[in-house]
Amino acid sequence: MTRDTIYRDILLEHARHPKNSGRLENPGLSASVHNPLCGDELELTLALSGELIQDCRTIVRGCSICQASASIMSEMIIKKTLKEAIITGRLFDESLRKDNEDVPEMVEPLRPFLALKTHRSRIKCMKLAWDALEECANQDKSPNYT
Amino acid sequence: MPNHTLISQCRKDFPILKREVNGYPLAYLDNAATTQKPKSVIDAITNFYENHNSNVSRGVYTLAEEATEIYESGRDAVANFIGAEDSGTIIFTSGTTESIKLVSSAWGQKNLKKGDRIILTEMEHHSNIVPWQLAAKSYGIELVYWPVTTEGRLDLALLEELLTNSVKLLAFTMVSNVLGCINPVEQITEIAHSHGVPVLVDSAQAVSRMSIKVSEWDCDFLAFSGHKVYGPTGIGVLYAKKERLEEMLPFQGGGGMIRHVEKQSSTWAVPPQKFEAGTPPVAQVPGLKAALEYLKQYGIKQIERHDNELTEHALNQLTEFPDLELYGPSEIQNRTGVVSFNLQNVHSHDVAQVLDESGIALRAGHHCTQVLHERLGVPATVRMSFGIYNDPSEIDRMFSALDQARAIFLH
Repeated sequence: MTRDTIYRDILLEHARHPKNSGRLENPGLSASVHNPLCGDELELTLALSGELIQDCRTIVRGCSICQASASIMSEMIIKKTLKEAIITGRLFDESLRKDNEDVPEMVEPLRPFLALKTHRSRIKCMKLAWDALEECANQDKSPNYT
Repeated sequence: MPNHTLISQCRKDFPILKREVNGYPLAYLDNAATTQKPKSVIDAITNFYENHNSNVSRGVYTLAEEATEIYESGRDAVANFIGAEDSGTIIFTSGTTESIKLVSSAWGQKNLKKGDRIILTEMEHHSNIVPWQLAAKSYGIELVYWPVTTEGRLDLALLEELLTNSVKLLAFTMVSNVLGCINPVEQITEIAHSHGVPVLVDSAQAVSRMSIKVSEWDCDFLAFSGHKVYGPTGIGVLYAKKERLEEMLPFQGGGGMIRHVEKQSSTWAVPPQKFEAGTPPVAQVPGLKAALEYLKQYGIKQIERHDNELTEHALNQLTEFPDLELYGPSEIQNRTGVVSFNLQNVHSHDVAQVLDESGIALRAGHHCTQVLHERLGVPATVRMSFGIYNDPSEIDRMFSALDQARAIFLH
């Protein structure tokens, strides 16, 4: 098995059996985002306890990459602070832009996506869930994340 | 049988078709998005820049006169190609989108007021929806949608019901860029005119595939893009009937569209220059002219036949797979080479990416028709769309490569 095949299988597994799928009742924060390219939709709901993300759910109407990204993100951000989660998303974004495949440790679980980064048209699919997270942070009045 | 003569003759004219993609010969099946360019078009643009480049309608020197001559002869060629009697009815724009915006702005300002209605169809491209939504905000008009039938067509009987007194324009596409259906322009125009309603025809998908006869059809406006007829990007055409041109205020203000400018006011040049402010797509005009000449060389009848054969070939295969859902008419009559479908339980983006691995270029997404996709009940579709250089074997390759998508996503 090549490295890319292993990565593909990881993504497909998440796409087929997405983690934390659904919608939280009375979420602390929520956001719905669209991919204008293909019309895909993603809804993210977060339950917060103070700064900490206690739980999250996503509903995705989208491709396998978009599904997998939402699933992996959900696993990564639970029990992290919203600020940490946002920073992870931004580091992911930076990694997608870089020529090399070095990634910060926080972004390691997202490495399977980096194998696809030459497909520029799919970057938005990879980032849609993280965009929803940014959108949630924008609505959050407490801290600033810049 | 497929029209091998056309294919074998014309494939060599397109330099890009020699390319390999991911180790496979390029199978370019995204002609509804844009078409590839024959060498004659590329050469015409290069020749302009190398030998005649200057601005038009300005200078008195030799180059300027040559450029103006080339530019205006392009206008004549377009008029001739779409069956317009007078090349003064041809306005060069940047593309279909700008052509429609020109109508919604220049014609709309003078002819639309609060309470008026415009009829659009559910199968319109965003370029024939969004400008009207903006106009609706500015003028207080209402947009009414002519529904698409379950077969993916328009029901003419319904149009009669929609054509109430407050309707001021009917804007519709001649060929759907998703469903592939051909709408009967002449009949629709006749019905609209019998209610005193002018029509705008979006022919972006039609011009490369069938003959256009604006004068015979008596349509009021017709818009298309150069890059979808084997010509360059950055140029489009708006045909407007003389009576309509007279009802239109200027679109953009600037050089070239004026008669006389004073400090506080100006007077306007006559159409079509009145609607061509600023430096027009000068080098693109010889490119577009070369493209139209290229199509004429093979003859639109032969091109139409070839397109039909490819479409039939694709539809026959598609219906053999129970896991493929077709969007658009399944019968070949009044249908052209745009075939959209979905592979059950696989997102169209995923399908398109797997096909790309086999060198097959086609489009996945909503194809700028979200209103139509809402009607179809799916967010996105896979679309193959044919050009004159496509071979039935490329369609076969597409259907074979779908097995890889099945293997990856459905095993």
